[in-house]
Amino acid sequence: MPMKITQEIKDNTIIMTLDGELDASSSVILDEELSDPEIMKYSKILVDCQKLNYISSAGLGVFISHLQRFEDAQIKLIFFNMQDKVRNVFEILGLDLLMTIVSDYEEARTIANE
Amino acid sequence: MAKKQIFFLPFMLKQAREHRNSGAANTKTDFRFMLYKNNAKTLLATSAIVSWLLLLVYVLLTAESTVTGASVPSFAFPFLNNLLIVVFIVSVFLFQRLHTEMLKGMDFIGYLWNLFSRAGVAAYLSVALYLVYRVYTNYAEEESSLLLHLVYQVNFGLMVLFLGKAFYIWRQLLLYHKNKFLQIAWDWFELLLAATLLLTIFNFNYTSYVFLPLLALIGFYILFLCTNMKWVAYLTFNNKSRSLVLLGAILLSCYIFVRFFRAMANSPELVVDYTDVGFLLLAMLFVGTYTLAAFLVSLFSLPTSSVFEQKSEDLLNFQRLSLSIQQGQSEAQVYDMLVESTIKASDASAAWFEVVRNSEPQVTHLLNIKEPQIKSIRHLLQAYNIHNMDYINNNLGRNPGFRGLGLAWKSMAILPIKSTKHLSGVLYLLKDVEGGFDQETVNVLRTFTSQTTLTIENLRLVNESLQNERYKEELKIATQVQESLIPKTFPTDSWFEISTHSVAAKEVGGDFYDFLQLSESRIAIIIGDVSGKGISAAFHMAQMKGIFHGLMQQDMAPSEFMKQANSALSRCLERTSFITSALYIIDYRMKGFMFARAGHCHTLYYNSMMDNVFYFQTDGLGLGIIRDDKNYAGHIREMYYDYNPGDVMVIYTDGIVEARSPKNEEYGEDRLLYMLEQTYHLEADDIKYAIINDLNDFTGPGNLYDDQTLLVIKFRPTQPNI
Repeated sequence: MPMKITQEIKDNTIIMTLDGELDASSSVILDEELSDPEIMKYSKILVDCQKLNYISSAGLGVFISHLQRFEDAQIKLIFFNMQDKVRNVFEILGLDLLMTIVSDYEEARTIANE
Repeated sequence: MAKKQIFFLPFMLKQAREHRNSGAANTKTDFRFMLYKNNAKTLLATSAIVSWLLLLVYVLLTAESTVTGASVPSFAFPFLNNLLIVVFIVSVFLFQRLHTEMLKGMDFIGYLWNLFSRAGVAAYLSVALYLVYRVYTNYAEEESSLLLHLVYQVNFGLMVLFLGKAFYIWRQLLLYHKNKFLQIAWDWFELLLAATLLLTIFNFNYTSYVFLPLLALIGFYILFLCTNMKWVAYLTFNNKSRSLVLLGAILLSCYIFVRFFRAMANSPELVVDYTDVGFLLLAMLFVGTYTLAAFLVSLFSLPTSSVFEQKSEDLLNFQRLSLSIQQGQSEAQVYDMLVESTIKASDASAAWFEVVRNSEPQVTHLLNIKEPQIKSIRHLLQAYNIHNMDYINNNLGRNPGFRGLGLAWKSMAILPIKSTKHLSGVLYLLKDVEGGFDQETVNVLRTFTSQTTLTIENLRLVNESLQNERYKEELKIATQVQESLIPKTFPTDSWFEISTHSVAAKEVGGDFYDFLQLSESRIAIIIGDVSGKGISAAFHMAQMKGIFHGLMQQDMAPSEFMKQANSALSRCLERTSFITSALYIIDYRMKGFMFARAGHCHTLYYNSMMDNVFYFQTDGLGLGIIRDDKNYAGHIREMYYDYNPGDVMVIYTDGIVEARSPKNEEYGEDRLLYMLEQTYHLEADDIKYAIINDLNDFTGPGNLYDDQTLLVIKFRPTQPNI
């Protein structure tokens, strides 16, 4: 099934919804979205992972490659609503210590506004 | 006497010698046959010389006896005389027959020149000889019968030589492109002609009424044979003019001999008359007729020869075009050939060719036309909406738009190089006469363009398949490299068992493992997974292997190794790539192992003392994710664990736990743990097979999405005494 990425903008926050499987081919689309210079105008990016069923190493690679850039620009990248098996992939790789992964939208908003 | 010999001998011997030389050069053919041929030729040359000399002696003696009046002895043997003549003629003809068979190929001018230079000149020599004789007799003011006989005899020899040579060279040309019928017709002709020699032997008068119809029949036969001159069509204009000169000279030779022997015929001073030999008359008739026919055909085909030249050149060009695929020529070279050939075939006064790249025309070839002129013509064609179309206009003057351009050309042909879907180029030909592109020319031009289209299309296909082939080859090499990176055998020792399993999902995968014996009692085992697939993954694997062997030479702790590996990889890994890895250093003297995990799957472990299967839950960040050394150091943990005999360690990559069933379920850590719980008491090999079998049952056949690597290590209960 193809990956569907939707964006919703609220004030200075982008809420990005990932729907489907993030594999080698769909990670190219994600990379394009995250590389968009427009995105640097916002200070918070919240990624809704509720419908993200699978993430491959290529998908992880895309997030990793943008991680440093967002950090330098002081943009907060927060994942929420992550399924357990996807969260497990993040954890095994050690990314849970580098990235902010929270349980739901409310928590994500709270952390984002800190 | 001696003088004559000197004159005659070198002539014969030279031929014989050259013959041997050319024979030696041709040793590829059957050597024994050559030897036989050379022997036969030497024999024939000798018999020719001997018979000629005997004939001379006989003639001179007879002449002497008639002069002195002491008659009789000569006419006692008319048969001997005739026999000698026949032997001489047969020897010379057979010699020439063998000689000309060596000539091969299509060098017709070479044949003619050979004939003229070797035999045709004989006629001129005979004229010179006769003139010398006449001058001498005028000077001496007395007729010398002996001398006359000598001259007559020498001329006879020369004529027979000429006829023999001409006869067989004409045979060679006459039989060019022969069919079976022609070959049979010729063989009969030769036989018939040889049969007429019998008339001479038995001293029949061929002019008698009995033989005249027969001779007339042979005459018609000769006329029929003389219609076979296909070779003339293959001569180019230049060659035809040259052949006309040579044929004229040969005709003159014929005339000289005929004239000489006709003048001498029935001369009362001579004791012999060779015009009585019917064979010579017929041979002369054949040679003369054929020469004359060849001369006339060459002369009258001279104006049309350029057409044939053009046709044969067109044919050659077609051949070159179709050959260019095999010769691996580029598209540019094919277009060169096309432009050159079509300009020649149509005799165009101006032309240009444009290659179409990304639907933009790009002029590559120009002839007698300038860029602005091309531009204006192209504009006009675009206005009429006929650019890039197959279009012939034989009367441009009638078109007001073209007349408005003020260009000198009167006809124009546009020929696109176009396959069903792809336009690769357009050829424009211009002529300064009206009706310059008639149907015949256009047909030839279209054949050229369609051949070119085919060639270009084929070249593309060949290139594509080559590219594909190359890619496959590269992949094959990468696979081989990858396979060579993974150790085939592990050290076997009495204190542990190890069993490995590894399959790649694509040709080149990203999984790897390796080991290094650090000291007598310590071994380092590494497992890893490079993100991504294909050739780049193979490269990173090779890098990782290099880093492992390089760093572990210094025997460092696993966490230190991960730090340094991260630092090294940060410098060469592309931004989106990372590597997960786990390193174990097992010390069997200490009965323990130290390990660090860098983002790699958790290690599954069975502890025999506690009879418990579990995963080591340690933190550790993948390599190449944080590219700042100090920061990374905080993300790696090291662990030391004492093992017991019977303990089992299962090391694997995510391809195992993330393998999916047809229902899209993951195999998962839990099922793997359950499998070890069921099998820990088995040998390492059997544990591995049990897990892999269960995994394959789960995924079903042909459902491999990711590389799978599995290492099972079992510590043996019986420890060696160290």
